[in-house]
Amino acid sequence: MMSLPFFGIFLALALVMAGRRTASIVVFGASFVMLLVLFKLHATDPLNIAL
Amino acid sequence: MTPALSRTLNALGLLAVSTVLIAAFFDQLVFGDLPCPLCLLQRAGFVVCGFGLALNVKFGPRPSHYAMLILGAVAGGVMATRQTLLHIVPGEGAYGDAFFGLHFYAWAATLFAVIVVGGAVMLLFDRQFETPPQVPARLSALALASLGLALLMAFANGASTVLECGGGLCPDNPTSYQLLDAWRGGTGPAR
Repeated sequence: MMSLPFFGIFLALALVMAGRRTASIVVFGASFVMLLVLFKLHATDPLNIAL
Repeated sequence: MTPALSRTLNALGLLAVSTVLIAAFFDQLVFGDLPCPLCLLQRAGFVVCGFGLALNVKFGPRPSHYAMLILGAVAGGVMATRQTLLHIVPGEGAYGDAFFGLHFYAWAATLFAVIVVGGAVMLLFDRQFETPPQVPARLSALALASLGLALLMAFANGASTVLECGGGLCPDNPTSYQLLDAWRGGTGPAR
């Protein structure tokens, strides 16, 4: 599952090289949201710091 | 700044981002330093930054392309800062080896900040946006090399992550490639 953002951006870059700008941005958007969701899943512990 | 110069600078930036990913791979493959989940997410942040640069290289500079670059850098910067804060208290331990005095996540936080500033500085030059962006008939060798390397690094990181974590989430402190272990042992990934 953690590989999905990489493969998503890989696909988006391939679409860039193919000249498909709009499609690449759509795939980028989905990959970016996936990246943020994965970060949320991994950032659950409170930090041991005083701010 | 002309659109052509902007394209060249973006191609150089894309090569620089790929160099960062190559350095991380070198540490992983040569020194056996397996990337943790947050490390992988930071790598993905660099790949996202590379996408914004690639759009500028291929289609010409647009503010929206720089916006995607900056969004990727901010997301990656948040992840790198989170990991830096996890280890910032003396005696709490660190993840991985230091490189020129800083751990990789501290370097990543610094580099993401540099990317944000670099993107903002590039946005200062309005003349690059004055002519309508268009795809050139033939890309320069530098542009092709930077795009090809970025494509390769995105795929290589995806493949490496599959080998390390299988199809699920990665363990917090990975010690081996789960999928390779599963193949050798004849069982499925741990999760």
